[in-house]
Amino acid sequence: MTDKEIKNSNTSQNTQNTESALPIHETPRGNVMVIAEQILGELQPVTLELLGAGRLLTDKLGTKLVCLLLGHNMAETTKKLIQYGADIVYVADHPELHTYRTLPFRRVVCDFLESLSEPPHVTLLGSTTTGRDLAPRIAAHFETGLTADCTELDIGPYEHKSKIDPSKLGLYPDCLYAIRPSFGESLKARILGPWKNPQMATTRPGVMIPLRADPNRQGEIITVPVNLKPEDFRLNVAETVREIASALKLTEADVIISGGFGLGTPEGFALLRELASCFPNSAIGASRKVVDLGWIPYEHQVGQTGKTVRPKLYIACGISGAIQHRVGMSKSSTIIAINKDPDAPIFKFAHYGIVGDVYQIIPEMIKQLKCVEKEQGEKTIVHSH
Amino acid sequence: MSSSNPKDIFVLVKQVPDQGSKAGLNPDGTIDRARAKRMLNPFDRYALQAALHTKKAYGGRVTCISMGPPPAVEVLLEALEHGVDRGVLLSDKRLAASDTLATAYALYKTILYCGHFDLIFCGLQTTDGDTAQVGPQLAERLNLPQVTYCEDFSLEGDKVKARRIIEGGCQHIISDMPILITVANSYHPLEYKSFRGTWKVQWLQRHPEDLKKVITTVDLDTVGADPEKCGLKGSPTIVAHTEKVGEIGGNCKMFEGQAISDMVVNIIEKSNVKEYLKIS
Ligand SMILES: Cc1cc2nc3c(=O)[nH]c(=O)nc-3n(C[C@H](O)[C@H](O)[C@H](O)COP(=O)(O)OP(=O)(O)OC[C@H]3O[C@@H](n4cnc5c(N)ncnc54)[C@H](O)[C@@H]3O)c2cc1C
Repeated sequence: MTDKEIKNSNTSQNTQNTESALPIHETPRGNVMVIAEQILGELQPVTLELLGAGRLLTDKLGTKLVCLLLGHNMAETTKKLIQYGADIVYVADHPELHTYRTLPFRRVVCDFLESLSEPPHVTLLGSTTTGRDLAPRIAAHFETGLTADCTELDIGPYEHKSKIDPSKLGLYPDCLYAIRPSFGESLKARILGPWKNPQMATTRPGVMIPLRADPNRQGEIITVPVNLKPEDFRLNVAETVREIASALKLTEADVIISGGFGLGTPEGFALLRELASCFPNSAIGASRKVVDLGWIPYEHQVGQTGKTVRPKLYIACGISGAIQHRVGMSKSSTIIAINKDPDAPIFKFAHYGIVGDVYQIIPEMIKQLKCVEKEQGEKTIVHSH
Repeated sequence: MSSSNPKDIFVLVKQVPDQGSKAGLNPDGTIDRARAKRMLNPFDRYALQAALHTKKAYGGRVTCISMGPPPAVEVLLEALEHGVDRGVLLSDKRLAASDTLATAYALYKTILYCGHFDLIFCGLQTTDGDTAQVGPQLAERLNLPQVTYCEDFSLEGDKVKARRIIEGGCQHIISDMPILITVANSYHPLEYKSFRGTWKVQWLQRHPEDLKKVITTVDLDTVGADPEKCGLKGSPTIVAHTEKVGEIGGNCKMFEGQAISDMVVNIIEKSNVKEYLKIS
């Protein structure tokens, strides 16, 4: 952004335009850094989304998009990161980095950031169980600002007028705008921390858009030293369990009937299966709570740590609608919720809601739908004659 | 075996505005904390359960720590009713507008002031901030290992065994103590208040001098925190702008209070359910 543009945006905010003496805090424009996420060597989709978002920020800043990858034997992944937008990939390769653990990972990231002559302008991670574990450690280590769970990112100017800390007064030309929902999603807040780089944020998985992979993109690959200390092994991971979902047609179904803790017992799913049988291309979904309770296998789980689905019709039965469930199904074309609590959060984003007991409503629904089916069937037969 | 050593257990809780009640909402959708109804952060109930379970199963003493304006003492009283042994409230006007980094710093100083600990439990996140950052930021200040998103744990010898949620699965963890654990909401729900606890709180409320010994209120000077690192000054982030986005979706067509069959007729008529039926 040129100086002239900065003054323009400055005056548009400040109608009187008398305080033109505000100091301008020109920090050097640093790179944008994405910290890649892998689970047992498998690159997580949020990293590609971050590269997409990071590319836009980088282009505004006129700097470079760099990616820090920690893992072991990740050559293929390195190439992929370049194809998806990274100008430089820094690789920390070490057998102890195969599995994510807070302390070794924070050690490598902090050492790496300290080794740079100029900190990145922006550092991004995913709002995943890994990103939300690691990012706050790094932010606290460098005493820099971190905004969690962003849904939009941008670069722009900010004029700080609060006189509480006079040293901060002034205009900051290139701040990270970290935009996130707050107060139960009823507000959108723009959070800034321009006083110190890196300005950090985590972004919600599934929100940012990755670039299209370009196999011809060129990038630099630089190896990062790994110096772990004995105290980094105070905590160890005995086992990382990944429940590889079978080729369940959950993500391809037109209709998903999903059950939660409100079913009361695992047998409740029999009723849901009966409802599902009314629809030709249907599947059974579930909340994490009932998967954890062992009522139904993991492959049925919908949500942040399960599957993301977008069927034409999603019927949620006895599901409260926690944010982690919602992120996995809110893009469904039609959402019907059945819940006995009129204040259940699911009614905030469902399209149709019935307040009542699943065991009264679903059998009635099955009964009526079967009648409708018959009618429609008869009509079709009549028409075909 | 050192597992038989009683444990010093800290649990961190926060008082938050009750978002279920419409009272205390400003026209722009932000919360007027002075008017809003207050409650114990729902996520902290799991942390409290984890702390009380640890005490019951392995022995020890539970200290409940909170930071907030004076009314926050209410959540410490609630924790006492559930069976914690003592409460510490960090309350200081200079903490106003603290972001997560400044909060973690102030809590770090408070924890050092509270003395020896083996385990620190935190809620996963708060309902008024939703960041899940304070726990790990605190662990960084204290140079501790951490388990976030912890669903279950046990103590074995001088080790903690824990299970944490990850995308598409879980991790089984073994760690040294001391450790900081943030407890997921899939952990066991908080049990009912204990008889003894309720009785004790009633008694203490009639004996303010004794109450002061069980719940201590401290300020930044007592815990030796640098005021420059707290409040607005110590916070690297600010909320520059908020915008009301309205309730997402927000136009759920509700069927309520009618006969079951009528509600079902209506929903089948109004929605597009029929389009996906099998044609028999
Ligand atoms: C890191 C992390 C990741 C997570 N990932 C996921 C995820 O991928 N997917 C997921 O779903 N959750 C996930 N969760 C858990 C999530 O926070 C919720 O705890 C979970 O979704 C709640 O499940 P539920 O709605 O079935 O149960 P509850 O929240 O207990 O809701 C039950 C609902 O049923 C209603 N009800 C009770 N009885 C009846 C009845 N007879 N008839 C009708 N309604 C009734 C109640 O009013 C209530 O609203 C995650 C949590 C964390 C911390």
